[in-house]
Amino acid sequence: MSEIRNYLKQVSLVMAVLMAMATTFSTTAHAGMVGTGEIIQQQQTELDRQQLLNMLEKQEVQEKLAEMGVSKDQVADRIQNLTPTELADFEQQLAEAPAGQDVVGIIVLFLLVFIITDMLCATNIFSFINCIR
Amino acid sequence: MYRLRIASRLLALTGLVLLAGCASTPPWPEPESEAGKPVLPNRVLLEDVPFYAQEKYQCGPASLAMMLNSQGLETDPDVLNELVYIPAREGSLQVEMVAGARSHNMVVYPLEPKLEAVLEEVSAGNPVLVMQNLLIDWWPQWHFAVVVGFDSDDETIILNTDTRKQHAMPYKAFHATWSRAERWAVVVLPPEQIPATAEPLTFLRAAHDLESTGHTRAALSAYQTAEQTWPKQPAPIMAQGNLAYGQQQWSGAVVHFRRVVEQFPDYAEGWNNLAYTLEQADCPVQATAALSCARSLSPERFGKEEAAFGTGQTGDGENCPALPSCPVPTQ
Repeated sequence: MSEIRNYLKQVSLVMAVLMAMATTFSTTAHAGMVGTGEIIQQQQTELDRQQLLNMLEKQEVQEKLAEMGVSKDQVADRIQNLTPTELADFEQQLAEAPAGQDVVGIIVLFLLVFIITDMLCATNIFSFINCIR
Repeated sequence: MYRLRIASRLLALTGLVLLAGCASTPPWPEPESEAGKPVLPNRVLLEDVPFYAQEKYQCGPASLAMMLNSQGLETDPDVLNELVYIPAREGSLQVEMVAGARSHNMVVYPLEPKLEAVLEEVSAGNPVLVMQNLLIDWWPQWHFAVVVGFDSDDETIILNTDTRKQHAMPYKAFHATWSRAERWAVVVLPPEQIPATAEPLTFLRAAHDLESTGHTRAALSAYQTAEQTWPKQPAPIMAQGNLAYGQQQWSGAVVHFRRVVEQFPDYAEGWNNLAYTLEQADCPVQATAALSCARSLSPERFGKEEAAFGTGQTGDGENCPALPSCPVPTQ
């Protein structure tokens, strides 16, 4: 167990990259009927997205982002482009976050995903990160 | 050295006690809650909810019987026992309870995990089935009970639980035991009735769960209830259309999807499903028109597939409905 813990950082980075890749290549093209389950899922995604955007309106969140040199619009843009899987993941993390420390948790989470997708050249929020081609 | 060891142990013990003390109970919800929400009464007691004393370990069947019979069904714990009680576990599981309620054609609506939601439902006359953990996290003793009332002045929750009818439990004790069961709470209502705290998506999901477990008539009824409650949502009508389509009632499905595109002309999914249904209903011309509208509304979603409608069709289009016009120019 302790061996795993030593490599926790590396392991989580690999997992995060894998996750980002898996979601980058999922498509939503469609042929045939759109089922009720799919409609519900789709609406849930929109609801989750809206909740994230609402969170961005909080003063503390914006201050924290400014501290890190990221503008609110950039993050909002990124949220608009999150895939359903990424969104569901965010919601999961938020639900698991203990009350009180959620704001900081959200920020760290935002940044983790953004930095990784930036590394994959999916976005370009952070100029100091050179993307892998 | 010895003394130091004792002292450090004592310190560790106090730390543990202090830590345990951190799990505090939030204050009782204020009666003057947020705008737009109804003000909760000070005291509610649903006298009409029947009571069944549980036999050994059988809180599940007893609680479910109270929930179902309060909605006018006539069942009893002995019958439900077969359905939800697992002898090896000396109890019932949440999934069994939910499935047991569904098998009686009831909508099982999960509440938000906060006391306000429970109080609001009870105030609206709906008893709430809750799960509790009477012991501790690593040695749980799960328990089901029915919330039938509350008293804001005494800060008590009134429960039909184990062998006690309308037992007033102090809020603190209720909160602790309920929180250890992830604040699981549901209302069980006939599909014609909408829970007081219902959100469109959660209700629709509960209705869809009914459909996917084979209770199509109850599901249809729940979809209709949803349509009446939230007329600005296309999803409940879509669900009715999909249900008819699944039963191969093509003309019925066409009516529903037509209603969708009439009321929500910008909703590409509605045009798409209308297209495939018209194809089944032998209306290839209209089907092609509807699909090109779906494609124009949402090219990234529906634009990729070239659908070949009308190949080998004999439909002459006599009984085919005229479509409303597409809100965007089609290719």
